[in-house]
Amino acid sequence: MPALSRRAFLQSSAATATLAVAISATPFVIAQDSQSSGGHVTPCLRIDADGNITLCVPIPDMGQGMETTAAQMIADELNVNLDDVSVELMPFLGTVNDGGRAVFGRFYQGGGGSGSTMRIWHEIRGTAAYARALLLEAASRRWQTVRSGLVAREGAVFNPASGQSLPYGDLVPHTAGISDISEAGMKPKTANERTIVGADARNVHSRAIVTGKPLFGIDAEIPDMLHAAIRRCPHLNGRVISFDDTAARQIQGVIDIIPVDRIPEDTAQWRSVAAGLAVVAESYWAARKGAEALEVTWDETVSTGDDTGLLREKCLAALDGDGMTTSIEAGDLDAAFSEASHSIEATYFHPHWAHTCIEPHSCIAHVKDDEAEIWVGHQFMNSAINGVKDATGIAPEKVKANFYRMGTGFGRKAENDFIIEAAILSKATGRAVKVTWTREDEMEQDYVNQLAAYKLRAAVGQNGAISAWHLKAAADTTPAVVTREFPARLIDTYKTEYERVPNGVTRGAWRGPHHNVIAWVIQSFLDEVAVETGQDRLEALLSLYDRKTALKSLNWPNRDITFDRFRGVLRKAAEEAGFGKSMPDGWGQGIAVHHTFVSVCAHVVDVQMTGDRDYRVHKVTSAIDCGLVVNPLGVRAQVESGIMDGLCAAKYGKWILDKGLVTTNNFDTYQKMRINEAPSEINVHLLDFGDEEPRGTGEVSLPPVIPALTNAIFAASGKRIRELPISENL
Amino acid sequence: MSVSFTINGTRRSFDGDEEMPLLWHLREEAGLKGTKFGCGIGQCGACTVHLDGEAVRSCSVPMASLDGANITTIEGLAEDDALHPVQEAWIEEDVPQCGYCQAGQIMATVAFLKDTPNPTDEDINTGITNLCRCGTYYRIRKAIKRAAVAMQSA
Repeated sequence: MPALSRRAFLQSSAATATLAVAISATPFVIAQDSQSSGGHVTPCLRIDADGNITLCVPIPDMGQGMETTAAQMIADELNVNLDDVSVELMPFLGTVNDGGRAVFGRFYQGGGGSGSTMRIWHEIRGTAAYARALLLEAASRRWQTVRSGLVAREGAVFNPASGQSLPYGDLVPHTAGISDISEAGMKPKTANERTIVGADARNVHSRAIVTGKPLFGIDAEIPDMLHAAIRRCPHLNGRVISFDDTAARQIQGVIDIIPVDRIPEDTAQWRSVAAGLAVVAESYWAARKGAEALEVTWDETVSTGDDTGLLREKCLAALDGDGMTTSIEAGDLDAAFSEASHSIEATYFHPHWAHTCIEPHSCIAHVKDDEAEIWVGHQFMNSAINGVKDATGIAPEKVKANFYRMGTGFGRKAENDFIIEAAILSKATGRAVKVTWTREDEMEQDYVNQLAAYKLRAAVGQNGAISAWHLKAAADTTPAVVTREFPARLIDTYKTEYERVPNGVTRGAWRGPHHNVIAWVIQSFLDEVAVETGQDRLEALLSLYDRKTALKSLNWPNRDITFDRFRGVLRKAAEEAGFGKSMPDGWGQGIAVHHTFVSVCAHVVDVQMTGDRDYRVHKVTSAIDCGLVVNPLGVRAQVESGIMDGLCAAKYGKWILDKGLVTTNNFDTYQKMRINEAPSEINVHLLDFGDEEPRGTGEVSLPPVIPALTNAIFAASGKRIRELPISENL
Repeated sequence: MSVSFTINGTRRSFDGDEEMPLLWHLREEAGLKGTKFGCGIGQCGACTVHLDGEAVRSCSVPMASLDGANITTIEGLAEDDALHPVQEAWIEEDVPQCGYCQAGQIMATVAFLKDTPNPTDEDINTGITNLCRCGTYYRIRKAIKRAAVAMQSA
């Protein structure tokens, strides 16, 4: 059967002309539209007719700094200064697989799993090195000299022998048709040759950001588009029973009211799109007023059992029930506990967290008979395009997607609901439609971080060392990650078990999925054990992570973990923070370490109690191993960001379902930290373990900061935080 | 009813829905997308602009209240190509991550420094209340202090 397979296709971004794509015999996909008036030399370099250089980066930026990081990699190979060039996002350069889905091509074009930097490390430098080779070759042909004698620097090719030089822009037309460059001639630079990778680079879009340029998806507009505001069912998985749109239709500018059905229809299945009523209007404000004027009777009955208090009770009860599934086990657990000199047990619980992406979701879609175009900020280019296919049936090759910067993502902007809604409404109206969410929509229709309860038991021998580890987890998702996490397997006798409590809550990736909460549970309990057995808290951790040299992680992405890195970051953070120093009454320090995906981070948090029920974080001292560092300034920014995110979620994060109704739906009911609660001192230390490749940063600093905080609160106050949020449990 | 006001020095008039917040006039009618929608209830400050020199949250300012007002948005802060010292400080300290809230942070800071040209940490804690979801507060604090020094020595 003839397949659609492997058809290369390319969607141009709004900012660039359509490119012609050729699959070269070289290892690199090459897009060249070199003409006399400038053009692309590979997909990562564009030069206009005036010689202005633009570096084209493959992965959308949501604040993690990927556009800057990728631009550094390209700039280094091309020997251009970042201050002298522009940076823009590439269009989608993927293909369609046998199942008719858009998939990545040469470049990974998504932001998630803290993996962007490592996933493009070879490909983007290789492509940029190929562009450099093409420019050098073009110059050598112009000058009829050997390429090896030429030098590319500061945006031009120089011939040291003759003193001649040609700017890259002049060479663009002459790169067309060159196809016989050897692989050796386009090798990326070695570590010693690099000057931009490894050096601090400020956000390449800072000037545009501080002057208010329209960079974000929500800023996009196209001529003749309509606006839509959707009144979505606030009851989880509910639907519309009846509605009266008389008043809404009287609002000036309102064009139509269009019911949006829940997708899928079966409420027992995971929600893709919420049920609601879309008000389509000439302006966003008219659409919003129309949505508010609708009188709707909702079906509130579907998810009344999905209630934060009830789910908490169910998860806690499950810990002692008989519904647990064994995840991993080894050794004789019962014997170890009966022989132990100490047995320590504790129960932990945390509620849901909302994403609160600062930019509410939005998407413009223009769906025609057999083609469509979207304008959107989204974490994954392939997935965004597949969302249009799912909504309309239009093949990915016929979907043109224009991608924008995101006002944070944290995993929520990896979902497609806002794209599907725009596509459905465009198809229904025959016009381009922009769907803009409110903050209430963003929080009510969130794919939240999971709610879970845990019971941990440790058997401790005469020497104070943990001899057996027993962990149970019950959650509204399958909490397998925590059961596979260390110190199980570092400790030879262990058993871990889990249970998923049935529920209808939509959960999704939230910065450092699973790790964001399990680091707290594990590292806090280890701190409890050390304190109860009279050990030094740092020494207890160092000795635990000295039990084995390395283990393959059972959690994604299943890499080999070497524990010298755990000890390394612990020692560095402790040393820099003066961990263990004497502090005034009411002050305390906490320490914790965790590996998220493939990188590892430790923090020491210094807190001061400010009364019985509040505290102030004065200082955070961090050590991170994230492999080869491309942008130290950017890594520090991500570590600082993860610290704030963790401190904030731990103190205030609680997304509340009241019998299926979300009652925390804006910043008046869902508190976030402001500058007054931010630590005034954050010291980040980047450790070098000799890696030749990057490992990832964006999610890594968040997980260990929560236990470092609660361990510090214990040291300062004697109160052990076993339930989040801290603000309600101190 | 028609209201007249200036935005970044340009005179404009408005005779539409007087309940509409200034935010949506700026974004949808004046073509000024730098002022951001964050919460719609005046909590986050992403929509901060200057109204007669004072920082206000434009999502909560109805158009009806603007007759005779002078409004400055992030687009009107730099004079020609010369950035405001607060904008310069934001770049120098590499504050922006996603950047979405930063126009509001900058507008809040410019107004704050007018009243408090030499702020202490405590002044900053009480005077700057905008939400940054990336958690750039550590660098914002440094940038505010840098801008304060630059403006005093200017």
